[in-house]
Amino acid sequence: MNVAATTDGTAEQTDTASPGRPAPRRRGGRIALAVSVFGELLITGGLVLGLFVVYSLWWTNVLADRKADQQGDKVRDTWAQEQDKGPGALDTGDGIGFLHVPAMKNGEVLVEKGTTSKILNDGVAGYYTDPVKATLPTSGKNGNFSLAAHRDGHGAKFHNIDKLKKGDAIVFETKDKWYVYKVYAALPETSKYNVKTLAAVPKESGKKKAGKYITLTTCTPVYTSRYRYVVWGELVRVDPVDSRRTPPKELD
Amino acid sequence: MYGWIWRHLPGNAGVKALISLALIVAVVYVLFQYVFPWAEPLLPFNDVTVDNQ
Repeated sequence: MNVAATTDGTAEQTDTASPGRPAPRRRGGRIALAVSVFGELLITGGLVLGLFVVYSLWWTNVLADRKADQQGDKVRDTWAQEQDKGPGALDTGDGIGFLHVPAMKNGEVLVEKGTTSKILNDGVAGYYTDPVKATLPTSGKNGNFSLAAHRDGHGAKFHNIDKLKKGDAIVFETKDKWYVYKVYAALPETSKYNVKTLAAVPKESGKKKAGKYITLTTCTPVYTSRYRYVVWGELVRVDPVDSRRTPPKELD
Repeated sequence: MYGWIWRHLPGNAGVKALISLALIVAVVYVLFQYVFPWAEPLLPFNDVTVDNQ
């Protein structure tokens, strides 16, 4: 290490890097060097943390939106092809449909199976398979269509979940049906262990009887995952999809 | 540290600046491509599901 040569150059930086220490002058080159390296490491650490924020709140959105668009296009293409061939098999791809929530102002959200981070990181909403299996609306059975998506980063599809009010529409679009739900209850903060919120009859929402429910879960408060935010809706109507895919009036 | 790197880069100030820029870009790339995706699941910012774990 070339200590003698570096002393002059780095001693000046020491003043700004660590104002709390007395600035060593000229002599004491080793200490000056150590302090300056330490200061530079601190600055570097700060920059890396700043970059991590940029990464989580911006870059993951870019990647996820790109991926979600691709997969969404694939689903729509598959639907179009099946249309041409006449009535055929149900959804074969990963995506089973699209969620439209006008109050969240986030366009359409592709819905896929599963809630692992690998799936959700693609900017989609996932329906639960574990710990409580979601009942798909396409099955026609009573039950709870439970979904999760990111609040921040990775598409942040449920970022505005707190904007959902009682009576707001949640519309789930499949190849040939529009499932129109209405929000009737929300739980702004609950434990992450509260799996009862996903039950077929979610009692915490005030329901006692079996019905066709939808549950959206995400993390809260924003930028952390200390608690979970839960919104419940109930199916009010099922509209058939016409040839031009005219959306139901809730989406106008 | 940075002073040491700067002095050991070849060429005049302009060339040094260019090489520095390339180095910064490379570091940011490695961070975004490998380090952050690895670190993110280890940090408690993005768990959105309710579960038993």
